[in-house]
Amino acid sequence: MAHQAHAYHMVDPSPWPLTGAIAALLMTSGLAIWFHFHSTVLMTLGLILLLLTMYQWWRDIIREGTFQGHHTPPVQKGLRYGMILFITSEVFFFLGFFWAFYHSSLAPTPELGGCWPPTGITPLDPFEVPLLNTAVLLASGVTVTWAHHSIMEGERKQAIQSLTLTILLGLYFTALQATEYYEAPFTIADGVYGSTFFVATGFHGLHVIIGSTFLAVCLLRQVQYHFTSEHHFGFEAAAWYWHFVDVVWLFLYVSIYWWGS
Amino acid sequence: MPAAALVRGLVDQWLYCVSVFGRFASGIPTDDEQATGLEKIVLEASKRGTDPYSILKPQEYAGSKQDPHIVPSITNKRIVGCVCEEDNTAVVWFWLHQGEAQRCPSCGTYYKLVPHELPH
Repeated sequence: MAHQAHAYHMVDPSPWPLTGAIAALLMTSGLAIWFHFHSTVLMTLGLILLLLTMYQWWRDIIREGTFQGHHTPPVQKGLRYGMILFITSEVFFFLGFFWAFYHSSLAPTPELGGCWPPTGITPLDPFEVPLLNTAVLLASGVTVTWAHHSIMEGERKQAIQSLTLTILLGLYFTALQATEYYEAPFTIADGVYGSTFFVATGFHGLHVIIGSTFLAVCLLRQVQYHFTSEHHFGFEAAAWYWHFVDVVWLFLYVSIYWWGS
Repeated sequence: MPAAALVRGLVDQWLYCVSVFGRFASGIPTDDEQATGLEKIVLEASKRGTDPYSILKPQEYAGSKQDPHIVPSITNKRIVGCVCEEDNTAVVWFWLHQGEAQRCPSCGTYYKLVPHELPH
């Protein structure tokens, strides 16, 4: 008997976990080198290696699943668990920053003037660009759901259109947020207000960029017929991630932008 | 330019999709059309009502002489672990051989090895 008697995927040996670990080492030590010796070479090398690792690892997964048929229902179930667990870990990541924000803002110290926003801070008006950003992300949640239903119903043109629209809305959010950052009257160095604002919204923005990239990869795959109307988990994972990014924004908006002003 | 390539690709694919899939303006393949490898084998087997890769829960049997637990095997013997009573922590392990049904040495329920065909 040469073949397996189970439906799981015993993966072939791969170098990408090793290159990923090396990239992590180079990026972390490179960060320390940058801080102490003003050279970004090591860190940049680490970043390039990370990007190469991600590209090749995920390319291999697409080959194994879409082109070789290794993603049977049990394997897909495992991938679903994996994505859910990953998103859960990201929820806890953001929970930390919300904890920090509420810790400092619920009981503002005398150094801040005993008030929130602290003395001297002019917060952004939550009903201007931040509200537009909220509308943009909520709309993108609608369009990504439209894309999902299009895929399930076999509507190729609509799937491509709605997925493209979702990505454009994500890019629009990023552009708006970038201009907000540029125009803001306060910086990350402006006490705990600046720290909590820019670290929380900054990590969120990074996740928007990651999510938009994930969706863009899905668009390329959709155009190239990778997805079937029943089996399109890569897209579902991207959509889950995108909804998560949207929800984090809603919490950021209500807590930091609105209540925090 | 990537945008031009995307547009050209889309036009090409649109023409291809109309010709091959024969569905105007839709054109997302189904698993029936596009599944390959083990995924395809599992799909076709489940359409026929078989489960060659033991994805589904095993069927329940009475475990009596007339209705022994059926144990599929790709060779002529398989290890059986009998949890005689629910929540027992001591599992009774034994080899089940081809031929007459064997009894668990602890609780006496019957197990019968049956050959299991793997698609190749």
